[in-house]
Amino acid sequence: MTPLERGLLRQMQIRGAVAGMALLVAAAIGERLLRETLPLAPGSLILPAFLLLAYLALWAPSRRYRAWGYRMDEEELQVRRGVWVQVHTVVPLGHVQHIDVSQGPLERAVGICSLVLHTAGTLHSQIVVPGLARATAEHIRDEIRGRIREQPA
Amino acid sequence: MSEGAADRRLHPGTIALRFIKEAPSTLVALPAALAFTSKAGLTGALFLAAALAAALLFFKWLAWRRFRYGVGAAEIVIESGILNRNRRSIPFGRIQDVDIERTFLARLFGLAKVRIETGAGGKDEGLLDSVSIGEARRLRETVRARGAGTAPAPEVADEQTEEPGDVLFEMDLPRLLLFGLFSFSLVYIAGLFAFLQTFDRFLPFDVYDPARWVGLADEYLPHRWTPGAIGAVLLLATLIGFVAGIARTVSRDFGFRLSLEGDRFRRERGLFTRSEAVIARRRVQLAEIQSGPLRALFGWSALSFQTLGAGTDRGGHPSAAPFATRAEIERVLEEVPPLRPPPPPELAPVSQRHILRSSAARLAPAIAAIVALSAWQRPALWLLGLLPLLAVAAALERRFHRYALAGDLLLVSRGVWRRRLWLVPLASVQCWSLSRGPLQRRLGLATLSIDTAGASMLNAPRIVDLRAGDAAALAAELSRARSRHSGRKSGTER
Repeated sequence: MTPLERGLLRQMQIRGAVAGMALLVAAAIGERLLRETLPLAPGSLILPAFLLLAYLALWAPSRRYRAWGYRMDEEELQVRRGVWVQVHTVVPLGHVQHIDVSQGPLERAVGICSLVLHTAGTLHSQIVVPGLARATAEHIRDEIRGRIREQPA
Repeated sequence: MSEGAADRRLHPGTIALRFIKEAPSTLVALPAALAFTSKAGLTGALFLAAALAAALLFFKWLAWRRFRYGVGAAEIVIESGILNRNRRSIPFGRIQDVDIERTFLARLFGLAKVRIETGAGGKDEGLLDSVSIGEARRLRETVRARGAGTAPAPEVADEQTEEPGDVLFEMDLPRLLLFGLFSFSLVYIAGLFAFLQTFDRFLPFDVYDPARWVGLADEYLPHRWTPGAIGAVLLLATLIGFVAGIARTVSRDFGFRLSLEGDRFRRERGLFTRSEAVIARRRVQLAEIQSGPLRALFGWSALSFQTLGAGTDRGGHPSAAPFATRAEIERVLEEVPPLRPPPPPELAPVSQRHILRSSAARLAPAIAAIVALSAWQRPALWLLGLLPLLAVAAALERRFHRYALAGDLLLVSRGVWRRRLWLVPLASVQCWSLSRGPLQRRLGLATLSIDTAGASMLNAPRIVDLRAGDAAALAAELSRARSRHSGRKSGTER
């Protein structure tokens, strides 16, 4: 399985940090308000929030990042993801309806983009491969596009 | 593409039909509210009702006048909208089905609702509500003749039922009544209560006052709850359940007929609302055979298809034979080539550890619920003794959760009370995934989910808790078999 670009890790870390910071601010305000009425030790809310921030910004992203992987061969694209529940998805290339290469602002900042495969299936109609370099994503897209055209509709 | 002219209008009877449909809510509710709340009284209410009726009628007429459709050389054109004009053209090539539905009211007027389905998933893409039944049939013939490239069908005379094609499955009245007996349901009693709750302010008593019911029982049953009285109540409830089941079944499936016309199935059914649905054979993605413990005992099951695009009922899972014998189902399946009933060698059960995993997954919430309950009611702790039943249930579930890969067909069966067997042609499989939760990893299990076009969350073949090795082998086999059979394509739209 091919790992994804390091940019994805960076993106996950930034997202985790933002979420963690928001929690930290909320915890700080909450602690301040609660200490007016309850005899709480200083830092009893902030400290857990700080640990959570460390988890969200450092530990969780790297585990999540390492779980991702993809492989493409002649017939199908395989995508692996998930830490807690590990999911391994196989998409036969002939069944791909259309393909998007998308890039959000944060993704642009860290230099990655996502490849989105749409199938006719309704349960998982989109299979997303995040964290690809633009050139790789476009290469895969062109490859799959060629395969779709080869097969009779 | 040549522009078709929207030169036809709906049947004028539509105005009356829609007026009658909406009249009760508009003409009764508001004036009634006025009569009760203000001093205007009955005359005021009647006056308001008349004014509302005139306004309603005018708008219905306006909508009818502004709605036009036409059949062009290559498309159907629909123009609608009172203020914002909207012109929609539906090319014949895009039209999948033309469904005709006739509600009881519409039948009185000789009208029919025509729904032009394109498979884009929109609800009212091409809804003609309503045209005369003759016009509806002509439209369908036109679409069929030009759309699917089939030979033009012979002109159909007005007000005459079409010649049935090759009838595949039919239900006569005795069969229908038997089906109704099996559809016994107590849900209707709940429905009755829901109805009473909605209207309870109009009732002279409080439905939810238990003292009242007990008092009622006291009045009528001098000896309070004697076994005989309880038995009578149970008997009555059972009777209502049977009657309700039969009534619903008869009204929905009266005159059920599935016939084959060229490359499509045609299904007619209904007592009051007569509906004709068309199921294109090449759009059938998979078949599902349903049964229950009791129905299975007597050899009855139901067949439904999963189709691409919006079907008329249950969103793309049209019922093809609601109450049929195995032979009858086989007869229908023969017409959709890759589909066939499961081969005699039994399907393989999932891993034995499914029992362990499934009970473990349910144990925690069950214990939590019991402990929470025991905080209120101490004796609830005795419920803990029932926990082994979870394992029994899981073992039973495993017994009915089986799978097999037979050539180009994947078979999955699941469910104890609602037994379902999916027949999935490999060509319909859009993608599949293996997933493993923490508990599954520890036990060496995996779940294989298969995605097909038109699948819904609750209605997807999924093989839960295979041995991890078997799961990987099955996934690999899927890949191999798929590339081997990729010569045949499903009806997937590109």
